[in-house]
Amino acid sequence: MDSQDIGNIQLEGEVAGDRISRIRKITQNFFLHIHSTRIHPDNLKPTYTFGLGITLGFLLLILILTGVVLMMYYTPSVERAYQSVKDIVFVVPGGRLIRNIHRWASHGMVFVLFLHLARVFYTGAYLKSRRLNWIIGVSMLVVTLFLSFSGYLLPWDQLAYWAVTIGSNIAASARELTDLIGITSGFDVGGFMKRILIGGETVGQPALSRFFTLHVIFLPLTLLILIGVHFWRIRKDGGLSRPGNPESNLDDQPGSEGRIYTWPTVLWAELAILLSVSAILLIIAFVVDAPLLEKANPAFAENPAKSPWYFLGIQELVSYSAFSGGVLIPLLFLVFLISIPFIDREKQYTGVWFSGRQGLRITFYSLAVSLIVTLALLFVIVQFGWLRDWFPGMSQAVVMLINPATLSMLFYILWSRWVRIRTGSTRMASIALFTASLAGLVLFTAMGIWFRGPNWEFFWSRSDWPVI
Amino acid sequence: MMKETRRSFIRKGASIFAVAAGGVAIITLLRQLVPRMIGQKKRVKVGKSSIFPVDTFTYVDEHKIYIYRDHEGVKAVSAVCTHLGCILEIDEDGFICPCHGSSYDRSGEVLSGPAPRALSWFRVSKAPDGQLVIDMTRQVKPDTKFLTT
Repeated sequence: MDSQDIGNIQLEGEVAGDRISRIRKITQNFFLHIHSTRIHPDNLKPTYTFGLGITLGFLLLILILTGVVLMMYYTPSVERAYQSVKDIVFVVPGGRLIRNIHRWASHGMVFVLFLHLARVFYTGAYLKSRRLNWIIGVSMLVVTLFLSFSGYLLPWDQLAYWAVTIGSNIAASARELTDLIGITSGFDVGGFMKRILIGGETVGQPALSRFFTLHVIFLPLTLLILIGVHFWRIRKDGGLSRPGNPESNLDDQPGSEGRIYTWPTVLWAELAILLSVSAILLIIAFVVDAPLLEKANPAFAENPAKSPWYFLGIQELVSYSAFSGGVLIPLLFLVFLISIPFIDREKQYTGVWFSGRQGLRITFYSLAVSLIVTLALLFVIVQFGWLRDWFPGMSQAVVMLINPATLSMLFYILWSRWVRIRTGSTRMASIALFTASLAGLVLFTAMGIWFRGPNWEFFWSRSDWPVI
Repeated sequence: MMKETRRSFIRKGASIFAVAAGGVAIITLLRQLVPRMIGQKKRVKVGKSSIFPVDTFTYVDEHKIYIYRDHEGVKAVSAVCTHLGCILEIDEDGFICPCHGSSYDRSGEVLSGPAPRALSWFRVSKAPDGQLVIDMTRQVKPDTKFLTT
């Protein structure tokens, strides 16, 4: 806001002085002027944004602060990493709490990120000029997942070692494809990806050094830059999305009556969120300790070797086929996410939850059919096994292409096509595909978290696991 | 076509030079990420054959292989799952992977699960000092034995 705009506002007596001081509080402050001086009341509605974006910002802030503290004691060396993490937990005053906060904040960040993604999707906040910001948001999702994954190796315990061994071999699983065509010896994409990632054939010191560098410098810096662009785009797109046409009525322009002053109203709301986030994290960190198993032993695999919960959906998928579950389907899902604003251009739906009643109905149907079909596939594979159990010696190509992962994905796509034909709306088709695949992801993840035990066999509960 | 002036020539030349220099710099930086030697596959000594129990698979944890010895000879098979690299355990049928449940028979052929390939068998020989040598750079047919008798 420049001085000319201030001059245009009707100023009278004390109230006017108050207005100017409120505006100046924002514009004259380096940190606060990330905000516009006034915002539309709809944007403060708790049931519109649920404060998810700002929660993510605060979680990242907490992660950076605790991460810097942890870095003072952590040593990224195969010989000493595990001991240094133990020192953080048992020797450093408050170290256990800091580590717990760091761990749970990272889990929280992934969780809230998916909620934020869903919120932005279901309110149609990716339409028109917000297309670019949606893509930036999806990129931030990927960066955040890699941040979590790289941080997971650092304690160098059994869980870390084997989760990353699995992860690095997923990177190499394009070999399944090149093996089928018979070109692996000359054109080994998978092996190349793996070597880039961990600097060797197995997880060792080069992998730890690489993951440390990625985790403390490269990825956080990338994320911060993306956040800068993300916030800048929100301002450029006329503030948060809402019904109507916010672009024609930019927040900083005069004549926008009924706007709320950022200082102090919005800042109070943000402070409340910061305090709630801190309080919740503190409570969890006091009560639940971040896991630390015995030191990594490359000679014996942890059984079961489970990744953090948000990767267990993918781990369930790779238990059908490494390439289709670990590379093909996640990539297709990302391509779908990025392409949403290009497939769907029905801009009348901006700012309305589920795009109204029809969208809500489609969401429910998609949720229901996706859960039923995915559950049915899971039931078959758990109860009756899959192709190799029925036809021993089944070729790898068939196992790779026909499994519960690819079949469910195919079904979600067909379902979305059908919705597209029935409703004639790209928005409804997007809702169908987004809901169905997210529901599938949740179901596969739940399967991985709660119902898989040693040898990745199915168990109703953890107490049924065999004692080894 | 526009007449080439000294200024436009220098501008073009400088742009080409800048792009080339930038490209070389980026390639050099990226090349750093793939080391020349990652020394993994190699020939290893695992000790004399007499240290291995007869008629059973013995795990050599340093090299992630199983050695099988019987009264005829010795054979060596990889203990790394071809699916995602976990260490296989022995069960009644052969081998089973703790990570995603791939199972193999005693010849390393895939029985069930997501494993894309059969297990690799390695060439076994004997060094002058009497120790067995497992050559992990040379794969052999399943169940190929090095005859010790």
